[in-house]
Amino acid sequence: MIISPEVPHALKQRLVVIGNGMVGARFVEEMLARGAAERYEIVMFGDEPHGNYNRILLSGILAGTHATQDTFINPLAWYADNGITLHAGVRVTAVDRHAKLVRGDEHVFERYDVLVFATGSSAFVPPIKGLNAHGRGAEMKEGLFAFRTLDDCERILSYVPKARTAAVIGGGLLGLEAARGLLERGLDVHVVHLASHLMEMQLDPAAGALLKSTLEGMGVHVHLEKLTKEVVGEDRVEGLCFADGSTLACDMTVVSAGIRPNVSLAMACGLTVERGIAVNDEMRCLNDADVYAIGECAQHRGQLYGLVAPLWEQARALADRLSGRAPQASYTGSRVSTKLKVMGVDLAVMGDREPSQLTDEVVTYSEPARGVYKKLIVREGRLTGAILLGDAAAAPMLLQSFDRGSALPDNRAELLFQLAAAEVTTGVADLPDSAQICNCNGVSKGALVAAVQAGHCTLKAACEATRAGTGCGACKPEVQAVLELVAGDSLREDPSVHYYVAGVALTKAQLVSAVLERGLRSVSAVFAELADGREDPSSKAGLASLLRTIWGKDYDDERDARFINDRVHANVQKDGTFSVIPRIYGGVTSAAQLRRIADVAERYDVPMVKITGGQRIDLVGVAKEKLPDIWRDLGMPSGHAYAKSFRTCKTCIGTEFCRYGVGDSTTLGIQIERRFQGIETPHKIKLATAGCPRNCSEATTKDLGAVAIEGGRWEVYIGGAAGTRVRKGDILCVVHSHDEVLRYMGRFIQYYREHAKYLERTFGFVERIGIERLRALLIDDADGICAALDARVTEATDAYVDPWTEAVVPVHPAQFVSVLEPVGARSAAWEGAT
Amino acid sequence: MTVTDDSMSVVGDHDFPVNKGALCIKGWLAAETLAHPGRLQTPLVRNARGVLMPATWDDALDYIATGIQAAQAKYGVDAVGVFGGGSLTNEKAYLLGKFARVALRTRNIDYNGRFCMSSAAAAGVRAFGIDRGLPFPVEDIARADAILLVGANPSETMPPLMQYFQAQRANGGSLIVVDPRRTLTAQTAALHLRLTPGTDAALAGGLLHLLLRAGCVDRDFLAERTEGFDEVRGIAATYWPERTEKITGIPEDQLVQAALMLGQAKRPMVLTARGGEQQSQGVANTLAYINLALALGKHGQPFTGFGTITGQGNGQGGREHGQKADQLPGYRRIDDPAARAHVASVWGINADDIPLAGSSAYELLDTMGCENGVRALILVGSNPVVSAPNAVHIEKRFRALDLLVVADFFLSETAQHAHVVLPSAQWAEEEGTMTNLEGRVILRRRVADAPSEVRSDLDIIAAVAERLGKGEYFRYSNAAEVFDELCRASEGGVADYSGMSWQKIEANRGIFWPCPSPDHPGTPHLFAERFATPSGRARFHPVRHLPPAEVPDAEYPLYLTTGRVLAQYQSGTQTRRVSRLATMAAEPFAEINPAAAKQAGIADGALLALVTRRGRAIARARLTRDIREDTVFVPFHWGGTSSINRLTNPALDPTSRMPEFKVCAVRLESHPEHVRHDS
Repeated sequence: MIISPEVPHALKQRLVVIGNGMVGARFVEEMLARGAAERYEIVMFGDEPHGNYNRILLSGILAGTHATQDTFINPLAWYADNGITLHAGVRVTAVDRHAKLVRGDEHVFERYDVLVFATGSSAFVPPIKGLNAHGRGAEMKEGLFAFRTLDDCERILSYVPKARTAAVIGGGLLGLEAARGLLERGLDVHVVHLASHLMEMQLDPAAGALLKSTLEGMGVHVHLEKLTKEVVGEDRVEGLCFADGSTLACDMTVVSAGIRPNVSLAMACGLTVERGIAVNDEMRCLNDADVYAIGECAQHRGQLYGLVAPLWEQARALADRLSGRAPQASYTGSRVSTKLKVMGVDLAVMGDREPSQLTDEVVTYSEPARGVYKKLIVREGRLTGAILLGDAAAAPMLLQSFDRGSALPDNRAELLFQLAAAEVTTGVADLPDSAQICNCNGVSKGALVAAVQAGHCTLKAACEATRAGTGCGACKPEVQAVLELVAGDSLREDPSVHYYVAGVALTKAQLVSAVLERGLRSVSAVFAELADGREDPSSKAGLASLLRTIWGKDYDDERDARFINDRVHANVQKDGTFSVIPRIYGGVTSAAQLRRIADVAERYDVPMVKITGGQRIDLVGVAKEKLPDIWRDLGMPSGHAYAKSFRTCKTCIGTEFCRYGVGDSTTLGIQIERRFQGIETPHKIKLATAGCPRNCSEATTKDLGAVAIEGGRWEVYIGGAAGTRVRKGDILCVVHSHDEVLRYMGRFIQYYREHAKYLERTFGFVERIGIERLRALLIDDADGICAALDARVTEATDAYVDPWTEAVVPVHPAQFVSVLEPVGARSAAWEGAT
Repeated sequence: MTVTDDSMSVVGDHDFPVNKGALCIKGWLAAETLAHPGRLQTPLVRNARGVLMPATWDDALDYIATGIQAAQAKYGVDAVGVFGGGSLTNEKAYLLGKFARVALRTRNIDYNGRFCMSSAAAAGVRAFGIDRGLPFPVEDIARADAILLVGANPSETMPPLMQYFQAQRANGGSLIVVDPRRTLTAQTAALHLRLTPGTDAALAGGLLHLLLRAGCVDRDFLAERTEGFDEVRGIAATYWPERTEKITGIPEDQLVQAALMLGQAKRPMVLTARGGEQQSQGVANTLAYINLALALGKHGQPFTGFGTITGQGNGQGGREHGQKADQLPGYRRIDDPAARAHVASVWGINADDIPLAGSSAYELLDTMGCENGVRALILVGSNPVVSAPNAVHIEKRFRALDLLVVADFFLSETAQHAHVVLPSAQWAEEEGTMTNLEGRVILRRRVADAPSEVRSDLDIIAAVAERLGKGEYFRYSNAAEVFDELCRASEGGVADYSGMSWQKIEANRGIFWPCPSPDHPGTPHLFAERFATPSGRARFHPVRHLPPAEVPDAEYPLYLTTGRVLAQYQSGTQTRRVSRLATMAAEPFAEINPAAAKQAGIADGALLALVTRRGRAIARARLTRDIREDTVFVPFHWGGTSSINRLTNPALDPTSRMPEFKVCAVRLESHPEHVRHDS
């Protein structure tokens, strides 16, 4: 038996803290920061054998974003260094308030003058049948876990490799974080929730429903209004049975059904306990003036808190009081707010979820297509609640307004949307002469104009004459613009903006003719001949693309000039695996093809099989070394989903089955895809054909599209986009047959191949050249180039070889060997993989 | 500087290694102050009716000597104080320190740099064992591939520096600017973090958390060259992104983006300035950013590391040679017996006669005229009535002095309270060295003659010493001799100049300290092998975010932050007198977000009153979305009813004694146009 020694300094009081978690340890830190070590000898008890750690980050450990050691706040040495006695791993078994004595396991006794309960809470495990392993007492079944402590977290992680399907009981904050973590670990995840929408404590039904579909979009299965009756399985989890008679097969289950305050110790020693240990604004227990409670175990003004921010406020207030720093300090309650820490979901909630007074003002914005829902509850000009889902950009500002209770702007839209600073970019031509160009030296446009007119016609001369640009120099582009405006064509401009790639000082036209003239068939030959032998790595991919366009099969392919995607003919994913998309012409497939794909997916354990936006099937998560085998077993051509090339031609159902169709879009789409498959282009091109103007296949917003209209005619669209930029395509021409569609599309594609800058999408290209000019060139043959374009595009399409034949004969032995890409290379690959 | 028969003008020197010829408008127009009609031409002495009247130097010096002797006889030697400035040359700063200790024998000397660089200085000494603004030349900025620039707006406050940031961007580097305002500098950044004033330590902790999470800390560097990381790592665990977002108001995705930009950089750089430093947690804030920079590793290599951007012309040199209350030349501590012995031997006095440390700047000013405070003050190169915090109170304290002597070129707001005003020479009329933000000592040559009755500060100090019977310690034939003595006094100190001379500085276009011997080339890069701490390792310091001394509440609902604008310098004594500059920034303004202005009922361009617990100031509203909704910015260059330092909070940093200029709580009130006062 160990009895603590007599108090070394008679003047010091003994402060005993039960609990070494987020709140107990924080309280002691706050005490030390206030110099309380002078007044108290501090003793702590902690159930867990570590120093304290940040429980908030457990979901990060589960998801793999945090390492365990990054969650530790105070190592064991910290306690010793600060003169704190920590009984780590010692559970307190009793408190004798009359003797002022705390008793722990291992016969530890500690006397106290002041006692603080910071016992926290435990995971609540609902009464479900079959929790325990058969015949093994209270031990939980194998595969069944709570999610509350670091140990829970480590147990879950060590079980993950043995599992394929996980069920998470509880769709609250923590349950969803656990679900996302398990999904990240490669499991098939089901969330089982009792209420009719997720996170019902924080969200209204609309937000809950939207969150559900967002999570489902990530691959989490959500089951609502399910009361779990039983965990099935002899010794290990095999599935769940629900009250409505339905079942779910799973091989692991995480219970995250809420928390219950740890109050049994307090109850046993006779403190007033309701739902938690009842305390007043001093955080003092109601029936013992020497005992305090803070954290999840404390009930303050009838309220229990489970979020860290208010609990730390309690710790701070108590430390202010007990340290003597502010003996009158009190805690009067907190306004709570939180964010869901789930990768890919922006969700911030604060305060009330529904209005509670007639005069409450509710502001909502909902955009289900983007998964965005925003709701504010405003009372007397101040925020009393908010839900921000899908776009939490305004969250920091709203959180601060909510916390401070500050008055809100009248224009509520400003709260919902973080309005960017009004950026009015006026061209220098429109500026008045009085407008200041150089802030540093206060030089106006008028002064610059005068200087240029006085003969200072170069940037340097104009700057020297006016001192513009001689301070920080940031205004030099504007000074240049003024020069151009005033001096007009007599100015010399920087030629490099017109280069095809940075590393070779030639425009695209100059480059093409030099390449043809000198017969340069490889990237290294171009550098040697046209760039004095200086190889610019950033220019390689662009040059490779151009040379392939020029030389077709005669191009001398040096693989290091390619992005990783092009080297292995697959699209690299963020975890370094690849996606495999076989070509399915026009999105029309067959039972046999589907069976083959299914067989491959099963044989190679492909983690995800996904229908793409381009009407194809994506096998996602394939390791590099498996690529050749998969291609071989598929026996289908490459879908080129990884390349700067023709991607796909999406089709609608056309005339064959559709009641509205006026043109056979399916056949046309297949013809287009067979003709142009794999053709290299400056940037990817995506096509579509639509059988009627209803445009089900979205042909008008594709790089090229054909839309059937009355009279058996087709509109050919070019330059559409529906990505980061949305643009309706321009009509290039209206024609009467499939052959004509193919001819004009081919002609445009070839012109784009020959004249666009590397990585210039068609929408930018069409805008740059102008639709009128394109019609003149490609339809009216104003320059007499059409025949040559048609011939060259035919040559290019004829030269097509399916790259997946490299599965049989790799270009080099290590082509498909898995290597860790250095970070730089990975990001380069990223840029290429769109 | 070129001088023709009838005019003087300033031109840039394209070969000079620091600015490469770039000047800001204050530099281009600097010649205007030389021949300004308002310039002091003779000494002024307050007559019996309390009016400042022209006087001869003899009369003025007699008045001063009598006043000093009377004060010391009545209240003791410490009743006379000296207040210097960060714009003074090294020679003046050194001599002012020697004057206080040798001629006055007072412990009360400090300078306005306390309001500027003291937090950065204290943090640098604690973490690296040395306080040099940048441990690398400014050119290194251009080659860093990611820079975190905190609380600095060099586009306006130091435009010539911007060329290095522009070159950095042209080299493919990225710049992250941390500022509550979207300043001109922030507008050039790849990422602008609009932090809540007073939350720097939380931001630094949050970024460190994210670096740890992403595995972007340099473990080898931490193990081999630093100490104390474990405790800091534990604290970083408590700054998870959601919490950091809530405290700082910076969206989580921006925090992640910033951390990745820094973490993935091969040559990351962290630069701080007054934004985080001029707070009651200024040292802790700076240490928190240093923690972040140390975790990124790579210190001591070129193009990377931590630095702080100095504000005043000689902000660096001004804090190295004994102008500070606790310091002797060479950045020595005044309580170090070896330092005292060495300096006493150079000065030819007994080590025991060197006084101990005195009060810091604000405390020195705060006790003027009080019991145990200073009763007589000699003030050189500073205008605290405008630049000190809680300025209404400080102005009152000035009025309580028995003797105030001010040496300046113009009759500044502070000089108006003086008993004796001495006209001093300006920058182009005298010679001397300055030590810039890089620790590079540079030489300024004389190109013009001062008006006949105007004297250099060095001559003034020597003349007063002469009257006090201490002339033998202050006889120099020129400023170069003062510099040579400074070099000897600094020998063996941290800022060791002993291997320098004016000739060597001029020949090399500047020399980086330390330069401990005549054949030593100087030290452009510090820390290549070891840090200047006793263990040779850089030290991490555990920092937890604490709120500023005053945060907004119902009565004062907004943050007030202060700073500088392009066309003005410091208290405006010089720049408000240059006509072009005065028109560019004619009157004080308050930058307010339209949302906040609307709530206070204030329209763009209207006059308003800013009210804090300490006072009230008038400014014109300038509505812009470039500032946070909860923050108001006002520049501090003006005096009178527009002096924003009537409002600022003199809560002092516990270590550096830096006042909290950058954060306090304010309320806006509309102010009728017709009761406007001129400043």
